[in-house]
Amino acid sequence: MATEQGSNGQMESQMELHGDELLVVDGVKKYFPITRGIIFQKAIAQVQAVDGVSFTINPGETLGIVGESGCGKSTLARCIVRLLETTAGRILFEGRDITHVSRQGMRPIRREMTMIFQDPYASLNPRKRVGFTVGEPLEVHKLGTPSEVKTRVQELLEVVGLNPEHYNRFPHEFSGGQRQRIGVARALAVNPKLIVCDEPVSALDVSVQAQILNLLKDLQDDFGLTYVFIAHDLNVVRHISDRVMVMYLGQVSELAPRDALYREPKHPYTGALLSAVPIPNPERGRAREPIVLEGDVPSPVNPPSACRFHPRCPRFVEGHCDVEEPQLRSFGEGHIAKCHYPLERWPMTSAEMRRRGSAEAHEEPVQA
Amino acid sequence: MALLEVKDLRTSFKTEDGIVTAVDGVSFSVEKGQTLGIVGESGSGKSVTCLTIMGLNARRSTMSSGEALWKGKDLIRAKPSQLRKIRGDEMSMIFQDPMTSLNPVHTIGKQLVEAVQLHRDVTVRVAKARALELLKAVGIPKAEARIDDYPHQFSGGMRQRVMIAMALINDPDLLIADEPTTALDVTTQAQILNLMKRLQDDFGSAIIMITHDLGVVAETADDVVVMYAAKVVEHAKVHDLFNRPQHPYTWGLMGSLPRLDADLERLVQIPGQPPSLLRPPGGCRFHPRCPYVMGVCRTTDPPLLGAERDPSHLQACHLDQETKDREGTKLVEATMAEA
Repeated sequence: MATEQGSNGQMESQMELHGDELLVVDGVKKYFPITRGIIFQKAIAQVQAVDGVSFTINPGETLGIVGESGCGKSTLARCIVRLLETTAGRILFEGRDITHVSRQGMRPIRREMTMIFQDPYASLNPRKRVGFTVGEPLEVHKLGTPSEVKTRVQELLEVVGLNPEHYNRFPHEFSGGQRQRIGVARALAVNPKLIVCDEPVSALDVSVQAQILNLLKDLQDDFGLTYVFIAHDLNVVRHISDRVMVMYLGQVSELAPRDALYREPKHPYTGALLSAVPIPNPERGRAREPIVLEGDVPSPVNPPSACRFHPRCPRFVEGHCDVEEPQLRSFGEGHIAKCHYPLERWPMTSAEMRRRGSAEAHEEPVQA
Repeated sequence: MALLEVKDLRTSFKTEDGIVTAVDGVSFSVEKGQTLGIVGESGSGKSVTCLTIMGLNARRSTMSSGEALWKGKDLIRAKPSQLRKIRGDEMSMIFQDPMTSLNPVHTIGKQLVEAVQLHRDVTVRVAKARALELLKAVGIPKAEARIDDYPHQFSGGMRQRVMIAMALINDPDLLIADEPTTALDVTTQAQILNLMKRLQDDFGSAIIMITHDLGVVAETADDVVVMYAAKVVEHAKVHDLFNRPQHPYTWGLMGSLPRLDADLERLVQIPGQPPSLLRPPGGCRFHPRCPYVMGVCRTTDPPLLGAERDPSHLQACHLDQETKDREGTKLVEATMAEA
């Protein structure tokens, strides 16, 4: 099943699907208009928050999405669960195109696909008791009588490691970690197939973060859940993911099985990210040489030409990287990266990274 | 004589619910040119310790005792005017959130000039030249043009650089950095940590690095203090701490970290939540969450003592040395397995 899409010609993606994917994201774009004027609003520019992202997720796996702030990972999450309308592209859930399904039509799908949010303080209604918050999805979907809902909620609280007797408490009576457990319980309530986790542990202390990560893993084993796990912490993503996607300025830089990505990154940006992570071991940590990138992430309103990473890239080649946009190319089983001059090996120092080889640079563009 | 010597520091706040002791008997010292890391989770008292040393707690609701000897002079009993002379000059601080700690209605140039003129009797022109020099030193591109920009015109990483420039502008002997990279992305964090390392080499300042990130501590600190529930539970040289951790809480922190350099099937999890400081648990404060808890832990608070083989490695735990060595080694070996 090959599909054509893309309006501006350069993003023609051809996805090969085998039909069992739980989720297919195909060339999704989300642009936010920047408007001027109060009554007569006129779009003067666009924030290209997500710009042509494609990937698939198989049932039972965890796809980690990493990137720095402003790379579009949260916008992508909101597009997947249809909290935001996409500008272009398609989203298929269990083979069905849900990109333009009506609100009413989304209802049954929302039972299959839920979300866990970053901030456990802001994502729970402070005026509603925990029992209500966790049970609300069940009521919305008319799953069971009030007493059945209550039993189910208490069961859920127990599953996520909270005391079922805390049913009648308010969110402020819980700590950050416990609140995130409530968020997990609410996401689990309707027995979804897919949970999109948007930075679920970023706001938590390390010891509590470990509790939530272990909980998410246990739940996946018990209920066969599929996760899209968004985070900026590369350690956390490595721990929980089967496959990892690296985003930069709204686009996919690299997508690979976890070990391939962390052991043999191909994109210089992935390399820079990995080298920048401090290691909690004095000997190894001090031995590492971070590849320090110059400057900041450019604005997605006016992204750099061709390869978006070129102004900060240690391997930048003038007249190539800033003129011709690289395509995603294959580097082995399920490993794709978008770079004209991929890394030959890993680890590398900054100096080595600057000496680019071109051995692999002339491979055929990827088909998948 | 140590540059800064903190002895038995205690800080309590009056709150509506009662008295909260946020720092309870903390001692450490910082030598010239050295970096001391303070690690702990939120609410462990690491920031309050430093705010107390700097005299930045609200005076009305705070009670402090103990000593913080700055070049031999006690800061805890110093007058506000004396503290004002030291702060920003001999001793300065970088805060976590660079957006809220710069004044949004003044240009960064004006704020930097103010920092110089508060402590030095110089003209605006001289102060501005100094400001420019520092902005260049911290790597702000086109510093001449950007000195007249407002904080909102800078990105997060650039703002943090401005904060560092401001903290260093009077050549302080001690720089207190309170989670200086927590709000930043990992590539920006690498830039800032590199910068701090380089500036320490150039300026010879001592640094107190407050953080919850064991990775940052491992790479930057010479000595490390681990805090839990307002108390120091372990204090050692960085290599000793990471190679021979002695306290169950330190083990828990290390084991609960997902990491790039080792494969951990399952993270060690410290059960429960950090205790409320309004009513801290009796005995050892970690005992309700400690997997090695014994009877004595519930009743007696363990003192901070030197480990049997290494008196400079301080730890507060009742466990026998053999168990500590065994469990600590087990943990370190698990995390040393190459990924």
